[in-house]
Amino acid sequence: MLAFKKSPWIIHYDASSCNGCDIETLACLTPVYDAERLGVINTGNPKHADIFMVTGAVNAESRDVIRNIYHQLPEPKVVVAIGSCAASGGIFRECYNVSGGVDTVIPVDVYVAGCAARPEAIIDGVVRAVQLLESKHKSMMEAARGIDRMVYEQAVLSDVAELLALQMVTYKSEAEIYGDDSLPALQQTLAEMEADFAQWWFVKAVINGKIVGAVQCRVEGNTGYIRRCTVHPYFRRRGIARRLITEAEQTFSPEVTRFETLTGHKSRRNIAMCEKLGYSIFKTEPFLPTIQWVYLQKERK
Amino acid sequence: MTPLARLAVYLLAAPLIGGLLAGLDRKISARMQSRRGPPIWQPFYDVLKLWDKENMVVRRSQDYYVFFFLVLVVFTGGLFFAGSDLLLVVFALTLAAIFFVLGAYKASSPYSFIGAERELLQMMAYEPMIILTAVGMYMVSGSFYVHDIASRPRLLLLSLPGVFLGFVFCLVIKFRKSPFDISCSHHAHQELVRGILTEFSGRTLAMIEVAHWFENVLLLGWVFLFFGSSPIAGVCAALAVFLLIVVVDNACARVKWPAMLKWAWLTTLVLGFGNILALGFF
Repeated sequence: MLAFKKSPWIIHYDASSCNGCDIETLACLTPVYDAERLGVINTGNPKHADIFMVTGAVNAESRDVIRNIYHQLPEPKVVVAIGSCAASGGIFRECYNVSGGVDTVIPVDVYVAGCAARPEAIIDGVVRAVQLLESKHKSMMEAARGIDRMVYEQAVLSDVAELLALQMVTYKSEAEIYGDDSLPALQQTLAEMEADFAQWWFVKAVINGKIVGAVQCRVEGNTGYIRRCTVHPYFRRRGIARRLITEAEQTFSPEVTRFETLTGHKSRRNIAMCEKLGYSIFKTEPFLPTIQWVYLQKERK
Repeated sequence: MTPLARLAVYLLAAPLIGGLLAGLDRKISARMQSRRGPPIWQPFYDVLKLWDKENMVVRRSQDYYVFFFLVLVVFTGGLFFAGSDLLLVVFALTLAAIFFVLGAYKASSPYSFIGAERELLQMMAYEPMIILTAVGMYMVSGSFYVHDIASRPRLLLLSLPGVFLGFVFCLVIKFRKSPFDISCSHHAHQELVRGILTEFSGRTLAMIEVAHWFENVLLLGWVFLFFGSSPIAGVCAALAVFLLIVVVDNACARVKWPAMLKWAWLTTLVLGFGNILALGFF
């Protein structure tokens, strides 16, 4: 829609490093460049922003902050990494406390090169981000209309960035239920999720090429483990999760006679959905101070 | 025009005028800072965009409070432009503001809490003057009804110059403009994240924005009422007051809340109450 093109609100965070890109980003808003003529507002509040601009390399201190801000941006959102440090870690790459570019923590859509990046280049990056924002919004709307054209299939390793982004968006509502951001699903990095592909296989729900839901499966003995059933907030309450779990059950070999899954004790909707699918609770155990795991099982028919 | 026709015109024109005024505000602010500034339609783009964004909430109920804020502001404006009782307008407007504050309290975040507290302080600052304005208008025209006040042949301003000035002063607080933008600055990164608006996003934020358009039109309508007998002067005065507030907004730094209370109440006492005392004597 036109409005997304005309009103990109940004939030800007400087992760570390020399502040050069930080200053150049703010320079875009001064009278010389006046990014506000394009409708840009520097909001300072992630809940009002559309574009997340990050400068500097990621270190141990800023990792959680970046992740936190990213989660607080409402969909659709675009991440712009500004400068060499934000892209790869730059000259700080080898430092003991630096984990690299911004894409080691959250999915990045646009990279602006330069050390420091020029304000002109940054404005170009924002313009590109605005186009992406619009296309993201469009694909989301098209997907919402084409809910019956959903495809369920096994995910491949190249999907991992999109799967992680989905997981981050999805688990936010769980974190709200428990008032706890330390859920393991929210802490996962790209590398960890790639490693998960060795043990687990992923079933994804796709509309128009966009992954809107996913679930993870693994076999041990005669038990099929199913976990982390995620559905994008825009597509909830339409039976996608139920369909995902049913599809996942069919991907197991015939030797599997029993399915097992788990969820948190306060996630009443998840438990109700599993019970509708024939699962029943067989044990609970404490996990975090705020969360108890509820284990559910089901015999294969 | 019949009251119903006026009501219909208000419901259709107020969001348009309010939005354009907000755009004008940003344009003038930009020009004062020698920037080009966004197009005058920018507030409409912003609201349309917000309407399509994901709505993130801390508690679902916070959205209902904001919805009632919007409904009550529209209702208040409707009362005013249909020519109803001015006192009822004051109380309905206060109720609307209270719903907004409750919504911010409901979100239970420290930023929105402080924003809500400061919004209450702002209400305490401007409310006495608003009521005195209604009282002053009654004393001159003998009626609380907007319809009767507007149809008075003599300019209200001639009898109520002090009340008018006091009212304009309180409009700066009501519009949340510098030096009294303490509950939520229009420039969000400056202070308290975004104060009372911090926890609202998406459609809810769009509703707040539209409610402010309605509210601004209502308040400028009140300025018009001082010039009820000559409509052209009234429109010019309303526009001039709006421009004055924008200029003051750009020229002033934010004050602390005790200073705001002190100035607002002093103005109310000297200009508002003084004017009404004078009316009583002469």
